Amino acid sequence: MLKYFVKRVLGIIPTLLCVLLFLFGLIYLLPGDPASIMLGPRATPAMVEALNKSLGLDQPVFIRLGHYIWGVLHGNLGESVWSKHSVVSLLMSALPNTIVLTLSSMGLAAIFGIILGVLAAIYGKTIIDHLVTVLSLIAVSIPDFVAACLLLLIFAVRLRFFPVLGGGEAGNIGDQIRHLILPVIALTLGWLGYIARLVRDTTLEVLDMDYIKVIRSFGAPMSYIAYKYALKNAIIPVVATIGLGVGKLLGGAVFVEVIFNRPGIGKVITDAVFARDLPVVQGGVLIAALLFILANLVADLSYAYFDPRIRYE
Amino acid sequence: MNERLLRVSDLTVEYSTRMGIGLALDNVSLDISEGEVLGLVGESGCGKTTLGLSIMKLLPRFGKIVQGEILFKGRNLLDLPERIMNREIRGREIAMIIQDPMHALNPVFTIRTQITDVLRFHKDRRLDSHGEGIQLRNEAAKMLEEVGIADPAERLTDYPFQFSGGMIQRVMVAMAFSCNPSLLIADEPTTALDVTIEAQILELLKSLVKRYGASVLYISHDLGVISEISDRVAVMYAGNIVEVADTTLLFENPAHPYTEALLRCLPGAEARGKRLGTIPGRVPDLTERPNGCKFHPRCPYVREICKEKPPKLLEIASGHSVACFGYKKNE
Amino acid sequence: MTQEKVLIELTHRWDSCKRKSHLRIKKFAQIIRVIRREPRGLIGASIIGIILICALFSPWIAPFDPNEQDIANRFSVPSSEHLLGTDYVGRDILSRLIYGARAAAIVSICSVGIAVLVGVPLGAIAAYNGGAVDYIVILIFDVIRSFPSVIVILVLAAIFGPSLLNIILILAFTSFPAYGRVARAQTLSVKEEECIMAAKSLGATTGRILLSHITPNILSPIIVLAGMDLAVMIMWESALSFLGLGLQPPTASWGIMLKQGYTYIETAPLMIIWPAIVLITTMLGCSLFAETLRVALNPREREPDE
Repeated sequence: MLKYFVKRVLGIIPTLLCVLLFLFGLIYLLPGDPASIMLGPRATPAMVEALNKSLGLDQPVFIRLGHYIWGVLHGNLGESVWSKHSVVSLLMSALPNTIVLTLSSMGLAAIFGIILGVLAAIYGKTIIDHLVTVLSLIAVSIPDFVAACLLLLIFAVRLRFFPVLGGGEAGNIGDQIRHLILPVIALTLGWLGYIARLVRDTTLEVLDMDYIKVIRSFGAPMSYIAYKYALKNAIIPVVATIGLGVGKLLGGAVFVEVIFNRPGIGKVITDAVFARDLPVVQGGVLIAALLFILANLVADLSYAYFDPRIRYE
Repeated sequence: MNERLLRVSDLTVEYSTRMGIGLALDNVSLDISEGEVLGLVGESGCGKTTLGLSIMKLLPRFGKIVQGEILFKGRNLLDLPERIMNREIRGREIAMIIQDPMHALNPVFTIRTQITDVLRFHKDRRLDSHGEGIQLRNEAAKMLEEVGIADPAERLTDYPFQFSGGMIQRVMVAMAFSCNPSLLIADEPTTALDVTIEAQILELLKSLVKRYGASVLYISHDLGVISEISDRVAVMYAGNIVEVADTTLLFENPAHPYTEALLRCLPGAEARGKRLGTIPGRVPDLTERPNGCKFHPRCPYVREICKEKPPKLLEIASGHSVACFGYKKNE
Repeated sequence: MTQEKVLIELTHRWDSCKRKSHLRIKKFAQIIRVIRREPRGLIGASIIGIILICALFSPWIAPFDPNEQDIANRFSVPSSEHLLGTDYVGRDILSRLIYGARAAAIVSICSVGIAVLVGVPLGAIAAYNGGAVDYIVILIFDVIRSFPSVIVILVLAAIFGPSLLNIILILAFTSFPAYGRVARAQTLSVKEEECIMAAKSLGATTGRILLSHITPNILSPIIVLAGMDLAVMIMWESALSFLGLGLQPPTASWGIMLKQGYTYIETAPLMIIWPAIVLITTMLGCSLFAETLRVALNPREREPDE
């Protein structure tokens, strides 16, 4: 297991390098001169030149690349062009919000998705199964931002159950949770539908396997099969798609944060994108990519933990 | 020795398939005495596996028992609820070994977990009492040793994919006998194994059967194995039992045309250099079974009555029953 | 004598392989049958059909010009004149929805099309040639896939500016690796099949092998993936337009309508409800259709009994 772990972690390095290269190269994708684009149409030549100097844009490519990578390795992602705050501090203060949002959604979707999926499979062909299948299909077809808008409309605006916007008062956990509920539900729905469907399909496949027949022939009750024997097999594909899920949830978090006006990486990046604040965009995308790669790594390692056949390949 | 351990009467099982409903078992009756090994022989698709599964009430979702009785030690298994089947019958009184060892165990649990869980079912223990962990582990190791697996303690921490087919079958045999069952249903346990391993497993089975005094329903399509291990043999064709007899009698004096044809197909039945025997035609599909005697389209002795009604399984001599209109009793 | 026998054997294998390809073409007729039979397929196909009709024939179907403003009648409730009501400047919501289908259809079909045309050959060639080519192509795929697609799409949309063409290209860029991977995996398994080796020994060139033999055999999962992707692309078009990074007002796009509805969420909830329903229904239709395609193309998957 340890060998597999090390192998996988090392395997990330080439990808990481390419990611950094790509982010660095972003600046060259901008049509025209980066500094003037960042400053907008009212920039004077003097301002443009000052920005160029401060961003080091007037130096040859390789030196800049070196500085960039050096900076990244030392946790320095530059400064926001507008606020002059360090990009790292901007992102780090926003990151916990996004992580809380994403992890809560992931957790809820996983728990309820697995329960519903297993139930649907065990009670296959009955009303429970059909209900779960249909609801999952609908849930998957509702994009995160649409769900967020609808939830906002129904529960916050019309019914006034929940606060409309914002992240809640700092330091007041209760208030923060109240502000968290609708956004989390909006994010969870789509993923929950996907997982329920996945678990149902996998469990149905598992239930048809010979080893289920064998263990039943030894007198295993259905509860044992559902909660221990078949469950592990059914969870494997869920675990394998955690990386996919985090990617999707991070994406949805962007919209949810914008719609509910919550603090978070998504909001920071979107604002920076509109403000043409390139260092923040670069830094934000790097963090997002790192999170995503990390999630995929966790997914792969968990997969190996649950399915021993993978470890020995 | 004359107690009827198992008596199956008029068992009929339907399968619902995309092409319609078919009878996998059509009024099947047989019995097994205590301490007896009954061989059940027939081609693929004749319903022998279905019969085994029906006794355990483990038919797949598309299968249904529509009629009949399965009396085990006097109780009709078809009347028992699932709970009782699990607690008293499956894995206790009746145990099963299936054909494909590579899929018989759950790939994501260790051998140790799977054996000890089964032991827990047998002995009515709660599934998570701790102190028994070591005790059960030792029992499991002993079981592995009993069936001839080397280094049992180390092998316990392995996963099924690390075992060979023969080793897994040994584990299955060990698990099956761990509760001292009265009846063992062995569904082609050696079909998927190499010939040398097959011989070893057969020997293992024979010795354990003798030691524990169990009855066996040995299902196979291999006449050679059947002749070696069975006391009596039942021959099945397309969902019906067509002949039942003591083993030597069956092989020396087959009564049913199908049995006769089967024996002729064995290598060695014809003189060297001649072609292997075959039976013309093919086994009918589940949903396309002919009227009357199901074998009549391929039978060299076919008569008018064979096409009209199915023959009953009747005794033509002591311990020898046949379902064929070619015998006086059946007219 | 033996050379002749080998040639005959090879030609037999070639023939049986060709027969297999013909059987796969017969599969299309089978697929149509399955679609007609399953309720999922019918619903999915009908929804897609309606959306396509709206997209193609919008000027003839829509009762009003989607940009025609009528400030006096803004925020009106559904009436016989405006079946779904009007928006904040009095434009007919139903007409805007119908025209919105155009944006959805164009963006999704074009981006999926480009992704397939780029990704599938790349993946197939990489798998077929192996070695360094394979390694590089996989690296490209992995790098693109290591970003959550949202981020890439957002950033690229911001850099290159919002326009129809840009969106199509960006969406194609983020999704072609998926097709590439599938094409590669399928090609790897098909590569070893006998008919390919037979074709090679009979002297077929690499290009011909790739085109006439490998491609038909790997199409099924690609088609299914494309079907599911259509729904996702429609969603992205709306999502980007919602944020302001996609199509710009006054174009009628469901995403823009949702954004405008969001702005007026307190006063005119209908402005957001109608486009939401239409978007959800369209995605549902695409998913159902893709589901049915998957079931139709994988005989093992079909529910066997009852």
